[in-house]
Amino acid sequence: MELGIGRRAFIASTAVAAAGVGLSACSSGGGGVEGSATSGPINIIGYAGIWEEQYRAAVIEPFLAEYPDITVNYASKRSSAEMLSAVQSEGGNRTTDITIMDIAVSNGGNSQGIFSTLSEEDVPNIANVNPDLVNADGFGPVVMLDAVSLLYASAEFSTPPESWEVLWDEQYRGKVNVVAPPSGIGINLTAITADMIGEDFTTSIDQTVTKLQELAPNVQSWAPNPDEYQSVVTGQTVLGVGQNARAQYYVDDSDGALGATVPQEGTVYQINTINLTADAPNPEAAKTFINYALSPEAQTAFAEAMYYAPSIDNAELPEEVAARLVEYGDDGIIPLDQEWLAATRDEWTERWNREIVNN
Amino acid sequence: MTAVKSDDAPRLAPSQPAGPGTHEKRTARRGKLAAGGLLTPALLGLLLGFVLPVLWMIRMAFNEGAGSGVVIETFTLQTILDPLTDSYYWGIIWNTFSMGFTSALLCIIVSYPLALFLTRTVSRWKGILIAIALAPLLSSDVVRTYGWMVILSPDGILNSALLSIGIISTPLQLANSMPGVIIGLVQIFMPYAILAMISGFGRLNTQLEEAASSLGANRMTTFLRITFPLSLPGIFTAFLLIFVLSISTFVTPRLLGGGRVQVLATAIYDQTTELLNWPFAAALAVILLMLFGTVVAFYQALTKKLEGE
Repeated sequence: MELGIGRRAFIASTAVAAAGVGLSACSSGGGGVEGSATSGPINIIGYAGIWEEQYRAAVIEPFLAEYPDITVNYASKRSSAEMLSAVQSEGGNRTTDITIMDIAVSNGGNSQGIFSTLSEEDVPNIANVNPDLVNADGFGPVVMLDAVSLLYASAEFSTPPESWEVLWDEQYRGKVNVVAPPSGIGINLTAITADMIGEDFTTSIDQTVTKLQELAPNVQSWAPNPDEYQSVVTGQTVLGVGQNARAQYYVDDSDGALGATVPQEGTVYQINTINLTADAPNPEAAKTFINYALSPEAQTAFAEAMYYAPSIDNAELPEEVAARLVEYGDDGIIPLDQEWLAATRDEWTERWNREIVNN
Repeated sequence: MTAVKSDDAPRLAPSQPAGPGTHEKRTARRGKLAAGGLLTPALLGLLLGFVLPVLWMIRMAFNEGAGSGVVIETFTLQTILDPLTDSYYWGIIWNTFSMGFTSALLCIIVSYPLALFLTRTVSRWKGILIAIALAPLLSSDVVRTYGWMVILSPDGILNSALLSIGIISTPLQLANSMPGVIIGLVQIFMPYAILAMISGFGRLNTQLEEAASSLGANRMTTFLRITFPLSLPGIFTAFLLIFVLSISTFVTPRLLGGGRVQVLATAIYDQTTELLNWPFAAALAVILLMLFGTVVAFYQALTKKLEGE
């Protein structure tokens, strides 16, 4: 029986199809269309979920209203490491213009030449950024700050817990959630615990690991779902550890069912930088966006929406907002060198996996 | 210009007499060419979408990771040897294997009666019954896993029911543990097991069972001596399928494991997306492939032995 397709016809049609695929790949995978400082598309990678929702409303939409000839394509990622991985995988064919990510991860990108330097000439609002928060080598500056806070179920506590030690309280056995490393929450809790018990974590975390092993029986989940905040809001757990900014948002969102506090022993910053990708397809419009993101109106709007502290000195926050966020220079901040932490993160993660989570 | 009919065209060479089988050979050759042509797009797709990425991944496993996503291009066995010489990663490999084996075994046990019933039934509702058995596939694994998180949590339906009837005095640790992951996997993969077994029950013949009964075998003997041995090919196929799906699954161990269940898939995810150590992640993926290969080889040896018998 002969099939109703000729060999030549088949090869020809396959070649046409392959050419079509090739052309389509060329057109979609290119480096994008270059534009001016006030026009063209810019591609931004940032955090996902409620962060994206609030950042779009507080920063991106007002920016687009001011610069109607610029379009913003936002790609969300669950973590800064995922963001860096996404930009790395673009190789020499960059499509991302801007990433907003944790400073420990962006430092890695800076050292690999993935991100570009920015000057005050490029981005005038860098002049308003607190000098401590400007990268000494000229890479992307800090765009917002946050800190780690203790989450608690308001129904269980008449007043906010005053110490991180409450996590170890036996009456909350199986009622605590902690996001284990490699998440930043678990990494930061390591530094907080070390500081609390008086161990210098830059030389050893042996005692800290022992202390965290004692916490393990209280922990219901090392990877709470859908996240550490909802775990408390829904009553699955009573205590948890989270980012203060998101926690404050969920305090409002849950009508106070969730409480968030920074205990007396202090906390550590979580710092986000805004970074221009080296060889970005539309660097001029990207610089315009970075400049806007560092403006008082954008910084204030996002602080009001999501409780991230501004990195600039000339943002005026309403008192009730300022009272709920951890600002740069506040008391009780445990010093944690982010570059040192980036190099230590793998080792701490290994110790958590081997000695705490799976012990 | 005058058109020349083929019948009138001058013959430049004397035609060769068609030998016996020439036409068949020509037809066979054309059939092969057509089949080859039709297979080419699929083979190209397989090459581009599977073979090349796997080769790239294997090559990546011989590189070295240096943190923050830096890949040192080299050729070293150390990246693969590191997990293979580390008891922690042997624990993860064991977790992966035991999770796959237990899930597949339990899945077969609970799915076998259903598959047998669906194969045998002569009900006019047979099609609908099969559709109902496969209906869970209409919702995603994530949704079903979240459902199990609710059911298995300390305050969930299962613990509440067991507490209320006095079987237990404190809630069982089902969520955020390996038992919970296995319960979830068994339910999630049941439709696949049922499908695989239904299609593998081709050798089941009711006449053989009737013959056994007529020769005095009771129901249990008939089942153990006739039905079960004849359904083994279907069982093995289903077991292999569920085992392979289980050891490579990520969603359920991640969500239902609560961070306590570390298997190769979750370790690969952490290395790829959080620690950005792609060579190490690739090395773990190669180990997972080796595990696949070992089980598939064992399965093939077993099925050959069965067919020989």
